Amino acid sequence: MEYVAGIDVGSTQAKGVILDEQGALISKAIIDMETNMGTAAEVVFQHVLASANLPARAIAFTVATGYGRYRVTFGDRQVTEISCHARGALAEFPGTRTVLDIGGQDTKAIRIGDSGEVIDFAMNDKCAAGTGRFLGAASFALEMPLSELGPLALQSTRPVRITTTCTVFAETEIIGHLAKGHLPEDVLMGMHYSIATRCASLVRRVGLTPEVTFSGGVSRNQAMVVLLQEVLGTPLNHSAQAQFMGAIGAALYALDNIHLGRRSEHSLKEGAR
Amino acid sequence: MSVMDIGSNRSTTRQQKDGAMDARTAGQRLINQWLASLGTAHERGQHVAYIFVMGNAIEILRAFDFEMAFPEINSLQSGVRKSAPDFIAKAEDFGFSPDVCSYVKADVGLMLSNMMHPSGIQMPEPDLAIASSLCNVYIKWAEIWERRFGTPVFVLDIPGKRFATWKVPPGSPQHKADARWVEGQLRDLIARCEQITGKTFDLDRLAEVETYVNEMVRLWIDILAFNQHRPAPYNSMLDGLTYMGVLNAWRGTPEGVEYMRLLHAEIADKVARGEGRVANERFRLIFSGTPCYVNMRRLIELFESHGGVFPASDYLTYAAGGLDSAGLFYDTSRPLESLAEVTTLAAQMGLSNHFFSHHTLAQQLRDYSADGIVYHGIKSCRTVATSMADNREYVTTRHGMPTLYIESDLIDPRYWSDAQIKNRVDAFFELLEQRRNLAGMKGRE
Repeated sequence: MEYVAGIDVGSTQAKGVILDEQGALISKAIIDMETNMGTAAEVVFQHVLASANLPARAIAFTVATGYGRYRVTFGDRQVTEISCHARGALAEFPGTRTVLDIGGQDTKAIRIGDSGEVIDFAMNDKCAAGTGRFLGAASFALEMPLSELGPLALQSTRPVRITTTCTVFAETEIIGHLAKGHLPEDVLMGMHYSIATRCASLVRRVGLTPEVTFSGGVSRNQAMVVLLQEVLGTPLNHSAQAQFMGAIGAALYALDNIHLGRRSEHSLKEGAR
Repeated sequence: MSVMDIGSNRSTTRQQKDGAMDARTAGQRLINQWLASLGTAHERGQHVAYIFVMGNAIEILRAFDFEMAFPEINSLQSGVRKSAPDFIAKAEDFGFSPDVCSYVKADVGLMLSNMMHPSGIQMPEPDLAIASSLCNVYIKWAEIWERRFGTPVFVLDIPGKRFATWKVPPGSPQHKADARWVEGQLRDLIARCEQITGKTFDLDRLAEVETYVNEMVRLWIDILAFNQHRPAPYNSMLDGLTYMGVLNAWRGTPEGVEYMRLLHAEIADKVARGEGRVANERFRLIFSGTPCYVNMRRLIELFESHGGVFPASDYLTYAAGGLDSAGLFYDTSRPLESLAEVTTLAAQMGLSNHFFSHHTLAQQLRDYSADGIVYHGIKSCRTVATSMADNREYVTTRHGMPTLYIESDLIDPRYWSDAQIKNRVDAFFELLEQRRNLAGMKGRE
């Protein structure tokens, strides 16, 4: 049995998966980003190997993706996260025609054709407004774990209108609203709404075409799912693997390579040792 | 270093094998000669005009022997020569907003640096400035010179686009009316030039200048068309920018004609030899928008590393000083009337290319057998970027062509994010590859 790996080195986290030669998910791992992207990639790779109980030489091919893809020294090929997220989303939801991925510093909308090809994509430019960082700022200002933001926001009955989309100024605005006596859940819901409208604009830019699959870490936030569905007017596919879609897509590209008879030079070296 | 260096893929100049000067060396010399001459113009008692690349009536100014300074070119050169950040910072310290056109801010920075240009030339103050209605910043920019130097400013009001599908057939009543409007202004300009220089206007001299322009236009049209060959002999957004720099600076001169002939012959030879700018040309792309002069070489590298070349760009039409590829020639038997007629049509075409370029781009996609379009939005020029979303949608939905939108700036390096741009370019080529593979599979079915 041969295995492939997909490593997604993003701005805030590194994700890794191993698939078997049939494309079944064998193991996955996620770690918070370290200063050194290459080290983070190595660490997540070791985690994913340990979880699968496999030696490095068992990995026949590795594709790296994400901003740090060129820092993955053991990567055999680099593919952008745009292609990888599209591929990963299609693998889990074959009817996907639009992908919305909200990551740590990037939000991307990807339009997919009937043959699974990427037709168009749009990303936030120059500014991290409407990305996971915006929620990170809220988490910091409210001294609350990220995972609790969504559930609390959903309790809101009178969402506050958040005017800034600037991640840097978000904290000031949150504190300002709290100082005026607004409830944290109402401020949070306002923030979620602000992100949702900005992301929906990116989706419309590439042409909203159902099915829409929501990927990336922020897709675990239930309030974002609810709001995006409302703003886009369509249900969203989302799953427990949402954070790993880029890595899964990368591993699927790795699988293509071994089907073409290519093998990793790194694993060959490992094998020789 | 000069403006020529942005297009160079060699660090040193070279001579052709037979000892004759090559176009690159000739162009570099012309740019240096122009700048040097500009720097000493006032010492020689020559008058200096500040003009823009679009709608500048340069033919009349040449007839009065003005030395021409192009503040847009000064600013883009400060980007190429890496001085733009200092100039921009000076303008912002002075109070200009980061959102103001970075060309304007670099020019203000130059003024605040005692007019010492990074080329080493002491830029002369203008004796006359011509602004036109072809860019909404031009007039306000000229007001800065008016206030700072006391420069007489002449604003040419050239009727541009009235609406998206606006077309003025040459010789139509509308064209004649527009031309009369412009001709009246040119006559005013002539009177102003006579007043400033103390010279009498010479109609024969204008006709002579126009003869040179006609020849340059004829050659330029050919040069643009040479890139319809596969592989493209030059990259319109690197080599092409340097050609255009010489074109603008030496428009309407025998030196300009000579340079164009040399360039024409060189590119024709490359075509005959089947020599491409990119060794392995895989994708042909149209570039829409203004360059990021501060990082243009890097941007082109990103595309060329994937075998991508830009055989054409709308920039090479609208920013080529009225030398539009549509082939507008002067009737030198009636030089002034003809200048007015061509100026109005060139303006309408220029503006058309700028703001309603979708039809032109669709035509370029066909003419240059292109695989897609790359749009470059300018952070400090919302005017240029405004039409791009519509345009992109048109090209994608009506023509099914892949497009890429990237954003940086003319010369402000703060808006260049290498990782972001590289990511988008890489993803775009993955998309192009997927598309090509898919077409190949469908072809085999």
